Amino acid sequence: MTTFANPDGRAGRHRTGIWDDGEPEHAVHLEAALGDPFDPDNPHGHQALLHADDAREVPAATEELLTRAGLAAEFVPHDVGGRLTDLERLARVLRPVFRRDLALGYGFGVTSLFAASSVWTAGDERQRRALARVLLDGGRVSIVHREVAHANAILRNELRAVPAPGGYLLNGRKDAVINADRTDVFVAYARTSAEDGPGSHSVLLLGAEPVRSGEVRRLERVLTPGMRGAHFTGLALLDVFLPESAVVGAVGDGVTLALRSFQISHCLVPGIVLAGVDGVLRQAVRAATENRPGGQPARRWHRALAGVFADLLACDAMAVTGLRALSLVPQDAYLLAAAVKYTMPDLLREDLEDLAAVLGARGYDRGPLYGGFQKLARDLPVAGLGHSGTAVCQAVLVPQLPALARTAWFRTPEPPAELFRPGAPLPAFDHRRLTHSGTDDLLTATLIGVAERLGAQPPEGPQHAALAALARTFVEELRVLRARCAALPVSGSTAFDPQACALADRYALVLAAAACLGVWEAQSGGDSFLSRPAWAVLALSRIGRRLGAPVPDLPPGLEAEVLAEVLERSLRRRSLDLYGTELAG
Amino acid sequence: MDRVTIAAPLHVPRPAGPWHGVRENLSQLGNALVYTTWSEWLPSVLTTPRLRQLLGPDWDRYRRTPDAAVRYRFAAARLLIKYTAAAALDTPPEYLDLAYRLAGRPYLRGFDQIELSLSHTGDVLAVGLSRTGRIGVDVEPADRFVRLDLLRRQILTPVEEQEIAELPESRRGPHVLRLWTLKEAYSKALGQGLRLGFKQFGFSTEGRLRAPDGSSATRGEWGFDTYPVMERYLLSVACHDAGLNTAGDTSVETMLDRGFLSAMAQPPADGAGSAGRP
Repeated sequence: MTTFANPDGRAGRHRTGIWDDGEPEHAVHLEAALGDPFDPDNPHGHQALLHADDAREVPAATEELLTRAGLAAEFVPHDVGGRLTDLERLARVLRPVFRRDLALGYGFGVTSLFAASSVWTAGDERQRRALARVLLDGGRVSIVHREVAHANAILRNELRAVPAPGGYLLNGRKDAVINADRTDVFVAYARTSAEDGPGSHSVLLLGAEPVRSGEVRRLERVLTPGMRGAHFTGLALLDVFLPESAVVGAVGDGVTLALRSFQISHCLVPGIVLAGVDGVLRQAVRAATENRPGGQPARRWHRALAGVFADLLACDAMAVTGLRALSLVPQDAYLLAAAVKYTMPDLLREDLEDLAAVLGARGYDRGPLYGGFQKLARDLPVAGLGHSGTAVCQAVLVPQLPALARTAWFRTPEPPAELFRPGAPLPAFDHRRLTHSGTDDLLTATLIGVAERLGAQPPEGPQHAALAALARTFVEELRVLRARCAALPVSGSTAFDPQACALADRYALVLAAAACLGVWEAQSGGDSFLSRPAWAVLALSRIGRRLGAPVPDLPPGLEAEVLAEVLERSLRRRSLDLYGTELAG
Repeated sequence: MDRVTIAAPLHVPRPAGPWHGVRENLSQLGNALVYTTWSEWLPSVLTTPRLRQLLGPDWDRYRRTPDAAVRYRFAAARLLIKYTAAAALDTPPEYLDLAYRLAGRPYLRGFDQIELSLSHTGDVLAVGLSRTGRIGVDVEPADRFVRLDLLRRQILTPVEEQEIAELPESRRGPHVLRLWTLKEAYSKALGQGLRLGFKQFGFSTEGRLRAPDGSSATRGEWGFDTYPVMERYLLSVACHDAGLNTAGDTSVETMLDRGFLSAMAQPPADGAGSAGRP
């Protein structure tokens, strides 16, 4: 099987999909600079990264490399001097880092982008330029969240800002702020109104200019069991004065700004942490094929290896569709963004546990070949922020369900096909166009459209027939959801029906299936692995089983086809995502 | 980081409770264990008019099970899970959708503030709940006859074998049984059941997870414990702490942020983000 045709003839490049214009140059450069992760002598390999993790230190040499490579410029929009043009490209540039070490990626890192996003979204020109300067000069920005419901250590407690002549006085503390001990610049979500409601908080940019009065005090470092090397530090603000010009957007915009700008992290987190699981799946392939006749794993591991690969492709399909949606249809991206962040980190954790069984005793190894597994198992739950993180996504999805059921599902027209073409050129991403209020639901329209087209064609074989049947299953699920969600009470307040939480879970899984179908259809017609139905059938049957939906047996040979691809890619050092990128090791 | 402390198991004889101990353990320790006998819960299975709602998607499996004892035990176990979870979430049990991961581990759809695990043997049922991370429970009869020669080949690491050989003969059987239940509990916490090779990991005599060569396998994020239950069973528990220092409040009513909910209910008038718009 040849998947890695190289039609454009460029050295070191290949195209897995028919639309992919090739790996971004900066990603190629980073992958080469970081080198073979399994080489014990590589100062940026797993062994060195594990040493730093053991010592609870940041991997200084690798951070230095990333600084030299100008990675921080990737977090800064193009119009203020950076290289951020679209988020799909950013995810590809970050994958070489996240394939090796999630904590490095967060700590270096991408948390600066998460913090800066509200300034890119609603900041004025002066604020945007000041923050761009900080990042381009090698600095970091940390986010100081407000306290949300069921908050964990990272989200618990909050700051208060009270009016003072010419500005605000900030007081309060936060238990765990990443990098608080190595930056002076914070994007603070502070309470500016005693009343709860949509206008309770405001965003203030702190430290981009020297603080005139008051004290920004660093408290103890918090030693976390995951991301052990990352610097989570307590922060206390004592009568810190900020001028009115520090307010990002308008006073009272904090909650809506979070809803708008969190869409970026909601799509990006699954789209980059999957690279870590990609790395572990390749370790599991190595463990399962070592000293095996013909390099074939034992029969009992076929399901886990092929299944986790299918899940990675599903995760990528959903994440990349979300990242592309932020450029292509920013007015309608928020549902997908919340759904991908809600669904995928959890699914990836489940995958890691499946791989724990394949790795067996090697999973406890601390050496360069397998040591990354335990580290990822510790880091991954922190990356998604656990229940607090999912509850934020549920708070977006749950209130929309009745309206979606009544006015969007089975009515919204299909989105543009470009949405589902990973790697195809995108219009420049503009933070300012992000909203949290679109009334259409694009992905359900795609699901229905693909299901209809599959049903209208004579099946080209058992795999097509299986895909058509699975697509119908998900359309049926959407029909059931429509009936149940339309029956939920519409509330203009903060009350919600507990049963809506389970319905939102089901809805998010339907969107995952829709993204797979959209990406598959956009690729179909070629002869690449992604254009054939096998991966989509396996991915959809796993999503269907998670829904508890009746899922038929897989056609014979389908699992073997997906397994052959994962073995082939591992052998040829290609990434186990939609792009099949060439890797350094 | 504090070591994981496993709560002592609580006997809950009927759906009506008492449940306050479960809420207290969950809030203070991050986990809670409940046990009962299925015969104690059987009257509720037989008399509740809401059995179908309570079983939800499991209703079909219940109806399809031909053996009455197996059917009732299945229903009693689902009721135990749902009532235990309902106590933690402070919501009616029939609102909960008990779903299953691909490898079979049960979870509560839409409510990831709680993870859970179920085990039963003979007439006892046990449920573990955790708000800090994965949890697995395994219950076995304490007097279960253990064939050392057989188990040695199937479940013990070389280091464990060595340690057992050094024990007085009378303590070997109970020690192996404890190891077995710990391995089952850990494997269930990972959602792997029997797929996890039991010779691929081990436990120290103090109950800490180790690689087969005896080296420490984790950095304190897992807690393990074994309790005697009803004087004739052993209940082992594996509980993970992902380290996020999660909220003690696990109730449904408070889980969705009021700020976000109110902002979603009142989108900006122009249908788009307004602030900073060019």
